Amino acid sequence: MKKYFKVWWMMSKNSFSMVLGQKLALFMFLIGKFFRFTLFFLFLFFLLSGTGKLAGYSKDQIIFFFLTFNLIDVSTQFLFREVYSFRSMIIKGDFDLVLVKPLNSLFRVLMGGADIIDLITIPPLVILIIIYGIHLHPTFVGILLYLILLINGFIIATAFHIAILAFAIVTLEIDHAVMIYRDTTNLGKLPVDIYKEPLKGLLTYLVPVGVMMSLPAKALMGLTSAMGIVVALTIGITAMFLALRFWKSALTKYTSASS
Amino acid sequence: MKKYLQIFKISFEEEFAYRLNFILWRVRNVLQILLTFFLWSSVYTDSTRQIFNYDRTTILTYVFGVMIVRALVFSARAMDVSRDVANGDLSNYLLKPINYFKYWFTRDVASKVLNMLFAVIEFTLLFIILKPPFFLQTNMLALLAFLVSIILAILIYFLILFLLSSIPFWIPEIGWGSHFLVTVVIVEFLSGSVFPINIFPQALQSIILATPFPYLVYFPIEIYLGNVGGWALIGGLMVATAWVGVLWMALNVVWQKGLKVYQAIGR
Repeated sequence: MKKYFKVWWMMSKNSFSMVLGQKLALFMFLIGKFFRFTLFFLFLFFLLSGTGKLAGYSKDQIIFFFLTFNLIDVSTQFLFREVYSFRSMIIKGDFDLVLVKPLNSLFRVLMGGADIIDLITIPPLVILIIIYGIHLHPTFVGILLYLILLINGFIIATAFHIAILAFAIVTLEIDHAVMIYRDTTNLGKLPVDIYKEPLKGLLTYLVPVGVMMSLPAKALMGLTSAMGIVVALTIGITAMFLALRFWKSALTKYTSASS
Repeated sequence: MKKYLQIFKISFEEEFAYRLNFILWRVRNVLQILLTFFLWSSVYTDSTRQIFNYDRTTILTYVFGVMIVRALVFSARAMDVSRDVANGDLSNYLLKPINYFKYWFTRDVASKVLNMLFAVIEFTLLFIILKPPFFLQTNMLALLAFLVSIILAILIYFLILFLLSSIPFWIPEIGWGSHFLVTVVIVEFLSGSVFPINIFPQALQSIILATPFPYLVYFPIEIYLGNVGGWALIGGLMVATAWVGVLWMALNVVWQKGLKVYQAIGR
């Protein structure tokens, strides 16, 4: 574990120094991410100032859903940015160099390039979550369940990224697969209750965006049942199990083309 | 004209070379529409509700309108110009007997035709599945103004893309950074493709309406819905035309200056 943390820190430092070497590009991306967040935040703010409620949720509650979505989304992008460059590794055959090293290959391609731009945005996001969370007057149990389900959401997001990597080995396609994952999880920007069946059911259980993004916030608001939490945790464990199986199976299909 | 027709044909066929990529790109468009559709459907559950100058029918028509207008305006290849400038491939085109702007505009048109075909199919499928109420504009004048506004939007977007792609003449490493900031974030939000601009307070709306961005999506759809008419319509079309002029002049100045500092780095 200590070895992996050391390797991760080393790879992250390299990745950070690469980004910090292009300060203007870093500034552009940072401003872009700030604008994107602020404009959607303002949109929700003005929309709910006009309508009062959305799908039965108040303005503070809807904003809290949005902030929770952002925390999971940004954290996964911070840790798993390397996934976005996996395709070139596969089509050039550079993945061979990863496979021969005495290090878990999945760990290398999943976490080999942490993104400092996303890291910078996490602390203000956490502060906003605390501010809006306090407005919702949560109980101690609510906060505890929120944290547990947040970790569960993060596990599902990790499983998705592993599945995307495996998909890339099999099909050589990753760019759009990642973006489709992101567009699908974007549906969790707002509580899944706004969707109608069968989409709502699909987003809750099949592509568990609801479990990933909406359920933690609902737990904090005291709107989840014990059964809902058990189902959510089962989905999290199952998703990770299936993703790892898919990864192992995909590795056997790797052809080492172009190397 | 004949050579641009050939470029159109080649570009059109090139789009089919990466079929999976293209299909996945269209899937992404559908997913983006779903969030907006259900959000507004939730807000306007009561069909008699009227807020932000829309009712259920007009807001859901707006969402479906975004699908078509986006395919017409935002389907473009000209963002690849920044790559040509940054890696020196621009030299290949400067030596050829073609107008570089017309070359990319032709490629854009090919992309728009293909994306439009798919957008119509998606529109029809989603329309059948979601069964939204739809506002059908029958006023010929409004439809004509809508078409004019779409042409202006296409020109504005093309010029914005080319201006952004000129930045690598001076700073090659921020090609993608500038596209992310302007086309992925600012254009996406301020054009009205995520939500209509009139959600914002009046003062903020006035500021946004003074920029070229709302004339890309919001303004054409507002014309279609009949929410803009009379002097407001003429004024809006004049502002959009003025932006085409300003951006065109700016592009000419920037491009000429860029060519003077261009060193074909990477060739």
